[in-house]
Amino acid sequence: MSVAEPGLKKNYLTGLKEAIFEEFESDPNVIAIGEDIGFLGGAFGVTEGLKEKFGPDRVIDAPISEAAIVGVACGMCLNGKKAMVEMQFIDFISTGFDQIVNMTATYHYRTAGEVAINMVIRGPAGGYGGGALYHSQMNEAWFANSPGLKIVCPSTPADAKGLLKAAFRDPNPVMVYEMKELYRQNKISEVLKANDEALVPLGKGVVRREGEDVTIVTYGNNVYHCLQAADNLMSEGFSAEVIDIRSLVPLDEDIILESLKKTNRLVVVNEAPMTCGFAGEIVARMSDRAFDLLDAPPVRVTRLDTPVPWVKPLESFVLPSVNKITEAALRVCRY
Amino acid sequence: MATTEADQRKTKQESFELGAFSSKLSKSDFQELLLQLYLARYFDVRLIKEKKRGRLTGTLYSSHNQEAIIVGSLFGLKPTDWISPIHRDMPAFFMKDFRAGWRNPDRMGMSVGTVCAQVWGRVDSPGRARDNWSHIGSSAKRIIHSTSMLAGTIPAAAGVVYADRLDGGDAVVLTYNGEGSTAQGVFHEAVNFAAVHKLPVVTIIENNQWAYGTPTYLEFSMDDFARRADGYGIPGLVADGQNVLDVYDKVMEAVAWARSGKGPSIVECKTFRAYGHGDHDDDRAAKYRPKEEVDEGRARDPIAVMKRIMVAEGHMTQKEAANWVAEGKGASEVSNDDFPPEVVQYLSEGIEFAVNSPLPEAEEGGMWVYREDN
Ligand SMILES: Cc1ncc(C[n+]2csc(CCOP(=O)(O)OP(=O)(O)O)c2C)c(N)n1
Ligand SMILES: [Mg+2]
Repeated sequence: MSVAEPGLKKNYLTGLKEAIFEEFESDPNVIAIGEDIGFLGGAFGVTEGLKEKFGPDRVIDAPISEAAIVGVACGMCLNGKKAMVEMQFIDFISTGFDQIVNMTATYHYRTAGEVAINMVIRGPAGGYGGGALYHSQMNEAWFANSPGLKIVCPSTPADAKGLLKAAFRDPNPVMVYEMKELYRQNKISEVLKANDEALVPLGKGVVRREGEDVTIVTYGNNVYHCLQAADNLMSEGFSAEVIDIRSLVPLDEDIILESLKKTNRLVVVNEAPMTCGFAGEIVARMSDRAFDLLDAPPVRVTRLDTPVPWVKPLESFVLPSVNKITEAALRVCRY
Repeated sequence: MATTEADQRKTKQESFELGAFSSKLSKSDFQELLLQLYLARYFDVRLIKEKKRGRLTGTLYSSHNQEAIIVGSLFGLKPTDWISPIHRDMPAFFMKDFRAGWRNPDRMGMSVGTVCAQVWGRVDSPGRARDNWSHIGSSAKRIIHSTSMLAGTIPAAAGVVYADRLDGGDAVVLTYNGEGSTAQGVFHEAVNFAAVHKLPVVTIIENNQWAYGTPTYLEFSMDDFARRADGYGIPGLVADGQNVLDVYDKVMEAVAWARSGKGPSIVECKTFRAYGHGDHDDDRAAKYRPKEEVDEGRARDPIAVMKRIMVAEGHMTQKEAANWVAEGKGASEVSNDDFPPEVVQYLSEGIEFAVNSPLPEAEEGGMWVYREDN
């Protein structure tokens, strides 16, 4: 488990698992705390086998107390540990909110650099699975709005592994938004590197598809919707460049800027609600830095400003889709 | 006949005397309670069968082996009382105020059809299928809208009876909580609030020994959770969660206390979760819980316990007790013939209503974010 077997394709969930096992192996100060992560191995099985291998002292089955989980982890980091907090679903992070934004995120600032909290907070996130209001959320904007936290959202098995490993090694609290709909999607499986070779730096985006006419910026599960939309655009005679930012905080603005120099058109896609969402942040930053480059008003494709409803017709109505992205990009291309 | 150790233990636990409230019940009350136990059980096994048959999607949270808590706690309520059920209490939504008549549209509980429409995700669900499973409610029927956030609705429960008291009412609220959910900070905050304001909040703890994959000893460090009440300065009662009459007695004691203005209390009902956390967890639960523990926890089926008491009280003959043997059987082992026909008929009507109800229009996904009419 701890060493990646060469040549074998692994899924997203295995990428996360390998990251955790490798970091546990290489650093005895790494601990994990969360609900049902030990006996059960986590609601989705991300920590399956971890307690057996590293023992109950390092893999802590916590009571259902998100505030206590984050607070205890914070205290352990204060005293030399690196804590991985698992949120059973990222939706439930709201009950631990105060301990994250006021306690953990501010520690370095309020101690004038004396203390840094080496914490990873990770959990399954995102819609498209019929999870309904409380098992579908993307609430990254709450935390992007709380200085002191870093935020990543991997879309591939290699990034899941590499960004999670990087999160462990970063001395700051880092939040990892895992795409639970991608956990076991074997069609995106790929060969994974091991140990330091697997690291993916925080704050670096990646071009998933090159194109000339429009830049589509996205992250997470929406990467795949954007790639399909790019196929559709091709048949309409437009070539789209798709950028996966992977890290929200810090954000790789330069990779977007470089692309806009070529395309002069911007579409931003994410599955959080539009108002005060991270898509708006990207548009705002590009308006600041690239206003003169733009030949059309930038457009956002996001969730409607609603909760995520349960049944399929409702869920599809509110979330971004290949069609919605294609239509938006065509509008921008034909402006 | 009690020869094995398990049998002896069983008999010992059941040396039962009727309490202050159950001793006043009539033979027909006993019969009604048993029928309701059958109905709650039938709801559980029928949904599993519907899902296996592919007629139903979504996770099911079984109340199998815990039905006596739902039935016994609801039995003595006034129509004006409130309840706040959770994922483990799905039958409570339609069993509330059953005394007014199962099919009475004016009673203060949901119709079985609307609850089924919710399970099926159809537009006739009380919440128009916007959130799943137990996440429904009705202020008209005095049922607090449940969410996923464990223990998250106890403050609202305290709030509704506070308002009721300001309006001169005497309503009591029953909140249902898994023992695991008591570890939430908000549980403490809400019970404490109710205690200092002497609010009529009866906090029922369904202690089924497991919270998803975590055993009770990793949720709190005491044998009887009810003792936690001491720290709030309120009464803490322990009930045999397998015995519908003991649940009824203890909850009625707490309700009487609350209604007389003395404030909140905790009623811990000891029981055991028969299957996985939800049906998605059945296979894994069979691995993380030892078989002996499960067998022991399911040894005293609430239907069988009630039958034994009814025979002992002379409310049922041995021969009658042998009718409709649903007790001790899982969903794959029972058929409709193991249940009284009125139970099968009642739920079948509800399911019929649900499957004929359409999905909501897609545009509803964008509606009701704000109230637009004021
Ligand atoms: C705040 C919060 N954290 C985690 C969960 C996920 N979760 C749902 S039910 C459950 C276990 C509940 O156990 P318990 O309270 O004992 O009730 P039971 O299911 O045993 O009836 C967990 C961990 C949740 N719904 N809400
Ligand atoms: Mg429980």
